[in-house]
Amino acid sequence: MELKYIALLACLLLLIFLLYKEIKRANTARIFSRILASIIAVSCFYFLLVPLQYQSHLERKINEIILLTEGVNPDTIAQLKGEKYVLASANSNSKAKPIPDLVYFLKSRPEITKLNIYGYGLTDEELKFIKGYEISFHPSAKPTGVIAASWPTTLQTSELLHVQGTYQNANDKPIKLLLQGFGNPIDSLLIEANANKSFFFKDRPKQSGQASYQLIALQNKDTLAKETVPFQVVERTPMKVLILASFPDFEYKFLKKWLYENQYPLAFKSQISKNKYATDFLNMERFSLEQINASSLNKFDLLIIDEEELAAISPNERASISSAVDHGMGLLISISNQKPLTTLSARFPRYESPIAKDRQLSLTWIDDKFRFNKLPLEQTLFLKANANDQPLVADASGKILVNSTIKGYGKVVISTVSATYNWLLSGKTTAYATYWSGLLVKTARKQNAIQKVNIMPQFPVLHQKTRIIADLAESGKVPTLKVDDMKLSPRQNMELPFQWDAIYWPQNVGWANLSINQKVESFYIYQKTDWQALKNQHILQSNLQFIKNSKALSEKNTSTSIVIAKAISKWWFFIGFLLATGFLWYESRILNA
Amino acid sequence: MAKTEGQNWINHLRIKWISFYLAGTIAISLSIAMVSTVIPFKLFKLSPWFFVPTFLVVLAILLLIKPIWKITIFDISRYLNNSYPELEESTDLLLKDPEELSMLQALQRDKVENILATIAPPRAPIKKLYTGLAILLTGLAISFAVIKMPQFKDTLPAALKNEGSTPIIKENIPVEIADFRLTIIPPAYTGNAARKQKQFSIKVETGAKIIWKVETNVAIKTLRISYNDKETIALKPIGKDGKLWTYAKTIDRSGFYQLELDGKKSDLYQITAIPDLPVTIKITQPKQHTTIDIGQPQKIDIKVALTDDYGINDASISVTMASGKGEGISFTEKKLSFDARFNNQKNISLSKSIDLKSLGMKPGDELYFFIKAMDNHVQSSRSAVYFVSIVDTAELMSMVGMTNGVNLVPEYFRSQRQLIIDTEKLLKEQSTLAPEVFKTRSNELGVDQKLLRLRYGQFLGEESETEIGGDHDDHDEHTDAKGEEAKFGDVTAIMDKYAHKHDIAEDATFFEPALKAQLKVVLTEMWNSELRLRTYKPQAALPYEYKALRLLKDLQQKSRAYVAKTTVKTASLKPEKRLSGDLDKIAQPTQKKSFEQKDQRVAHLKESLALLDRRKMGKKFTIEDQLLLSEAEKYIIEAAADHPGTYLNALTSLRRLSTGSKLNSDAIDLVQKAILKLLRPELPKPQLQHTLPAASLYRNYFNNLNKAGK
Repeated sequence: MELKYIALLACLLLLIFLLYKEIKRANTARIFSRILASIIAVSCFYFLLVPLQYQSHLERKINEIILLTEGVNPDTIAQLKGEKYVLASANSNSKAKPIPDLVYFLKSRPEITKLNIYGYGLTDEELKFIKGYEISFHPSAKPTGVIAASWPTTLQTSELLHVQGTYQNANDKPIKLLLQGFGNPIDSLLIEANANKSFFFKDRPKQSGQASYQLIALQNKDTLAKETVPFQVVERTPMKVLILASFPDFEYKFLKKWLYENQYPLAFKSQISKNKYATDFLNMERFSLEQINASSLNKFDLLIIDEEELAAISPNERASISSAVDHGMGLLISISNQKPLTTLSARFPRYESPIAKDRQLSLTWIDDKFRFNKLPLEQTLFLKANANDQPLVADASGKILVNSTIKGYGKVVISTVSATYNWLLSGKTTAYATYWSGLLVKTARKQNAIQKVNIMPQFPVLHQKTRIIADLAESGKVPTLKVDDMKLSPRQNMELPFQWDAIYWPQNVGWANLSINQKVESFYIYQKTDWQALKNQHILQSNLQFIKNSKALSEKNTSTSIVIAKAISKWWFFIGFLLATGFLWYESRILNA
Repeated sequence: MAKTEGQNWINHLRIKWISFYLAGTIAISLSIAMVSTVIPFKLFKLSPWFFVPTFLVVLAILLLIKPIWKITIFDISRYLNNSYPELEESTDLLLKDPEELSMLQALQRDKVENILATIAPPRAPIKKLYTGLAILLTGLAISFAVIKMPQFKDTLPAALKNEGSTPIIKENIPVEIADFRLTIIPPAYTGNAARKQKQFSIKVETGAKIIWKVETNVAIKTLRISYNDKETIALKPIGKDGKLWTYAKTIDRSGFYQLELDGKKSDLYQITAIPDLPVTIKITQPKQHTTIDIGQPQKIDIKVALTDDYGINDASISVTMASGKGEGISFTEKKLSFDARFNNQKNISLSKSIDLKSLGMKPGDELYFFIKAMDNHVQSSRSAVYFVSIVDTAELMSMVGMTNGVNLVPEYFRSQRQLIIDTEKLLKEQSTLAPEVFKTRSNELGVDQKLLRLRYGQFLGEESETEIGGDHDDHDEHTDAKGEEAKFGDVTAIMDKYAHKHDIAEDATFFEPALKAQLKVVLTEMWNSELRLRTYKPQAALPYEYKALRLLKDLQQKSRAYVAKTTVKTASLKPEKRLSGDLDKIAQPTQKKSFEQKDQRVAHLKESLALLDRRKMGKKFTIEDQLLLSEAEKYIIEAAADHPGTYLNALTSLRRLSTGSKLNSDAIDLVQKAILKLLRPELPKPQLQHTLPAASLYRNYFNNLNKAGK
């Protein structure tokens, strides 16, 4: 501004001086041309210093703005006409005017009625406030990357880590998706060009404690994305097992040894003669097992018994077993006869099917189609499944060998497989371990967790609002919630008294320790850039959903004009200046000479 | 001065002379240089580039001895005067200025010029060139021979040297070390020459001796080598200034070592010991089980291929013969040697023909043999055992095994035996019989053989034009089916009408498929024998007859089920007395055990895995972390001592990690990978599942549901 006036003043002085000189000049020939040339030269000089601007009247829709959000294509921005605004959260370096806070902006500009949204769209928070506006949404191309992913964040030792999700490949080239743990590739999948493919990787992590795997998208050698898959492995809770056997058997002997070496508390009672029992207490304290009653059964999560023994024990004991199952204990009955001997084991109908000789038994775990190594058994006894049963193990032709059903709180499982120790004898340790852990996990009592924590959103990000929801076993007291050393103030759910929530703003990337009543749980804080494709896809989906739901009336657009300042190029003034001064010089030197 | 024709001629001769001489000299010096470089090249592995300076030196010497460029035209003219009398000692005149010549001299000059045109050019320079070339050829031949000749001996170590030499690895060498050299003396059996290397990583044959020679640029007090992080040995200084150190050690197993200069530790260097493998033996002939039938030559040809990594010292065949049967089997062992010389070759193909008769084998005996080989490190290896058996014809003919059992079909077997006896009898009487009679009898035997064959064919369901009972010709049933009209479109019915359908003959017998297959082989043999008999060649038929009999015997043995004759009487059980013993004083055994995981190895490794992952996130190690890492380091050291190639890098990285404060993700990855390798794959273990908390609410709901159901 100041320059403008200084220049104006200087130019006026210069002009006056020049005009004075011209008038005073002796030679009055072509005086008017010279005066004109002087005026032109000085005015051009002035406009060289201060660019000349003029007001342009532009026709424009006043109540409509263009809102650029994350993911908008720069080429699209260039083509757009009108007033462009960009959200501060979107890191775009376009020339559009930034809006630090959309809600505030809209409140301060009440005349705006229509929003043209480009890009992936607005966040859920922002969407809440633009209800009532007319919205036209121009979504960007689908994001390339992992658009859905899930895995358990806490595993018990030796549990499988399943990482599953969907990869959206909008590229024209295939992409290799690789799961990497501790620098070692674990599994990979090829995703074709322009395809959506769901992936499913599994691994049995070896570490104890927290670790993070990486999900890497590769195009040839280029890494497109590297996402963190954090999880932690905690010590397993051992289950307490009681085995009652009617006679000592290899199957029991090996099972006992396997449980013992894996440090499971185990009581084993086996009849060795008439009314004579051998009793083993492994990894646990000795107590009386003379009579099976509710209190002794209460100590165990699982009872393994053969049908003969179940028939041989007293009706009182049977009744207490039945009621223990009702209260959550697992019961695994192994049978070898076609005729059921007790009512508990009679829940499952059985049949005999002759089988070709020299055939080996190949078992399949029905849940995940896991195929076990073959067993050298000639199995003839099979089970039928009722409507309420869940068959667990079948042979190659689909005949059921292990079946399970719910009884009260507990589970009853019946098995006709009698000699799985052959796996151990032939060195197929994996098959044995898989079979028995599967069976025991399915059968055993489910432990009530003390607390359960949910973190919203799925991927808590640094400096973004995170909601911690905790389900607690006891609902009476206000729990103390702490993240690292920061105390949070929990809020009780009005409908569910055992549910509490708290708001937390993460300060550091990485594992954060949440302690609820002194019990510590860990959760992971991500970088802002982690799982970007997934978040974009989520935003895109919720915007599309929002547009679908919003029934905003489309108001008539009124056009008013707006004034825009436009500058004239300095070159014109430069040419004028040159011509004018050139004429003055030419006139004085040549025409007068 | 214009040159005359004569002068030109002489000049030309001079140039020719000099150039030919020069070429000859060059050829000679080439030859000398070649021979003198090829020998050290062969013996001391000198660089072949030594040839160039040698050649230049020799050439210079030769040229100094005989400076040929000094030959002038006067020398030439003198030579011409000497060797050509017709020039009349007047060549000098040609060289003088013609204008200075007297009249007489000019006349003589013209004469000589004319003569010059007629005389043949001198042969001396050409000769010189030829000698030079001849010497060059000899030189070439000699050097070629020198290179080629010892190659037969040299091939083995040369090839090994390529294997044995360590690949160049970039090593971090302590700055104090000015120079070092490792001398590796491989054990004698490898036949490898001693070699030197300027690299601390060692890859040597097991048992090799290594001499370290380290020169430091500053005087140091102690220099130690710690081997596998267990043994630490102080090196001995050579001289007093403490700059030259040496140490020698024999390497028996892989591992790693580290230098320690005045307490400052170097990197870890890898030692890989390549063990000597025993000889691999491949028997290409005979098969593992060989049966020699009658009529076949009683000998076996053994063909073996032996391979070893350094050299084979000895190989022999161990033969065991078993003769007799039942309890009276006697074994004789023998060692046969190959007629071959073992010169520590790496590969050798051996063959040996064993005459079984000369070994004393009779029909019915069996021979077991295996090959034993020894390499030059006195490691022996042996092949699998091979079996050769000679069929005993006498055994076949015997009635043992048929007289004491139930004999369902004896006459068939007897028939085959009878055929053999008859054939042998016929052959014996051949000389006394008229040819016509001989042929008739042979033909008759052939007919008998055919009948026998057809009988056995019946077992297989074969029926044919030559069936004993005649052809079946009454197929009336096809015409009988008039009453039932075939349904329209019933293809099978129409086909039945025209097809000649029986049961499928193949399946209509009592035999198992394996048995049938063997029976078919018997029939083939019988067919072969029949062919020979009916073409009057009983001698040729005999082997087939025997083979058929042997196979029949096998069949007979196979189909027999043996049940021992026993008369066991068990006491009858009294059920009322079962399990009725007095058990009052029998105590009930109770056992209490607790399994304690004494070895914390797995737990430590698992924890350090997570710890390293945390380090990757940028967290610094605490003191406890350092302790844990040092535990993990112990396990990696153990592993690295056994497999330095796999774990040594990880160990180095781990040490750098635990001391350094800079975050190095690649190093962490390396260590984590090593730890993963140390940990065995995790086996599934059952664990309790968890339900949601606040179970009291759900429990109430469940209980109420239960109540409502009742």
